[in-house]
Amino acid sequence: MNLNIFFQQLINGISLGGVYALMAVGFGIIFNVLKFSNFSHGGVVAICAYLGYFLATRVAGSLWITLLATTLLGGVVGVLVEKLVFRPIRIKGRPLTYFFVNSITVAMLVQQFFSALWGYDYYPYPEFIKKTALHIGRLVVSKTYLMMLFISALVLLGLTLFLRKTKQGIAIRAASSDIWTPSLMGINTDFIISITFFIAGVLAGITGYFLGMTYTVTPFIGSFILKGIIAAIVGGMGSLTGGGIAGVLLGVVESLLIAELGAAVTPIVIYAGIIILLLVRPQGIAGKLYTIKA
Amino acid sequence: MALLEVDSISKSFGGVAAVKDFSMVQGREEISGIIGPNGAGKTTAFNLITGVQPLDSGRIFFDGTEITSLPSHCITRLGIARTFQNIRLFHNLNVLENLMMAGGTRLSYSTWEEMFRLPRVVSQEKRLEKIARSYLSYFHLEKYSMQRPDSLPYGLQRRLELARALMLEPSLLLLDEPAAGLNPREIHNLIELIYKIKEEKRLSIIIVEHHMELVMNICSKIHVLDFGLKIAEGKPEEIKKNPEVLQAYLGEEV
Repeated sequence: MNLNIFFQQLINGISLGGVYALMAVGFGIIFNVLKFSNFSHGGVVAICAYLGYFLATRVAGSLWITLLATTLLGGVVGVLVEKLVFRPIRIKGRPLTYFFVNSITVAMLVQQFFSALWGYDYYPYPEFIKKTALHIGRLVVSKTYLMMLFISALVLLGLTLFLRKTKQGIAIRAASSDIWTPSLMGINTDFIISITFFIAGVLAGITGYFLGMTYTVTPFIGSFILKGIIAAIVGGMGSLTGGGIAGVLLGVVESLLIAELGAAVTPIVIYAGIIILLLVRPQGIAGKLYTIKA
Repeated sequence: MALLEVDSISKSFGGVAAVKDFSMVQGREEISGIIGPNGAGKTTAFNLITGVQPLDSGRIFFDGTEITSLPSHCITRLGIARTFQNIRLFHNLNVLENLMMAGGTRLSYSTWEEMFRLPRVVSQEKRLEKIARSYLSYFHLEKYSMQRPDSLPYGLQRRLELARALMLEPSLLLLDEPAAGLNPREIHNLIELIYKIKEEKRLSIIIVEHHMELVMNICSKIHVLDFGLKIAEGKPEEIKKNPEVLQAYLGEEV
């Protein structure tokens, strides 16, 4: 691999990794609070990918307006999923397995819904950025990728500040260590959980839009969430920062390996590597060991 | 008028009665105790009062308001705070944040205002931090303010939990086995501390406890539970002499 291609792939990898990081954090924040693996996040990503496509082709032509609208609608979808699917079983005090099964069911339901409605066709987003490439020296960088990288970084930074500084953010962190006690501190746990799902939905909204822009929309677009889940686990469940960093790393490793080994072999190498990594360090890069898992 | 009125509450888990027809009346600025062998339903009684678990039957009134089916956070906001048998601090927040979080109900701004850090957000935040720091110094915990609670010795964690409960400005404080895991000297300090906060904050306190010396020392009234049933109620001297209590609970010890 010559140096040019290396840097090119590095930049591509970082921006793709930014999207993985968004998914890892969206997946991880629900795990932190409710301690179940939320596969429905992929379903929300898919809904948002279609929403973004619909808005961008039928309603408005502006990238920024449709991205913002998709993001906010993603938050709303996240809250709705919580209220319709997870709140009823939470109030009844069901075990975590119920949450896990419900979350997978939602993901499959969404996939089948879009398959039945629009078939397995590909829906490409409009080309927002006409002059697509930016020349820096001998490097050719995609403007779309740069924009994705910039927005992912901005969103993750904003989320970090929110969790560190605001009272709701601190309440989310408190609920992550103990879901039961905040209500005895006068905090409405249901509301905090709604906010958490809103945040996850917002992240899913951006992810869905970016994935739609990069790969065109199909019913299976939600399965990209697997990369985010891998990043969350490799980064360490319970650590959002770890998940974010692992997401970027995964994107970079993937891009570099594709350039070196090709797109067919790369996933095999990556998945095998992850299995070995988790054998050596089961808590991931920055996480602690959880005994409860579903 | 009584501060807390518990009117024959019951709760069973899978057919086993954890608390059965339990009633009690707690006055203002009174310290009372709930004692009983393991599994007698003492902690369950606290969980029912604070709304952590729903009642099967019975009613609870606090300060003239019925709180029977209110959610926990509303009950807390009305003025009932508690500590826990197995300490439940937030281990991913530092000591100061643990206290400030419990004072969150004093903040009246919205998340939107917070994002733009409007002046009233800043001033309320500062005031809350000041209150939290004053509790830290009250409990001699100032120098740990930036540490994680789980890095503190056990005795200090118990004090921190007490400080966090007081941040809620309760009128009724429920202490669930506050002496558990403390050595005799720490227990002695705890007794003085409980007296002190009761006097200074004009609190009403209910203590669930195994430690007889502590309960007999500071409670003016004691309720004895056995297998979910209240078998006696009275002043410490009366409880000490009650034959039923001696048989059920103190039998081997006295």
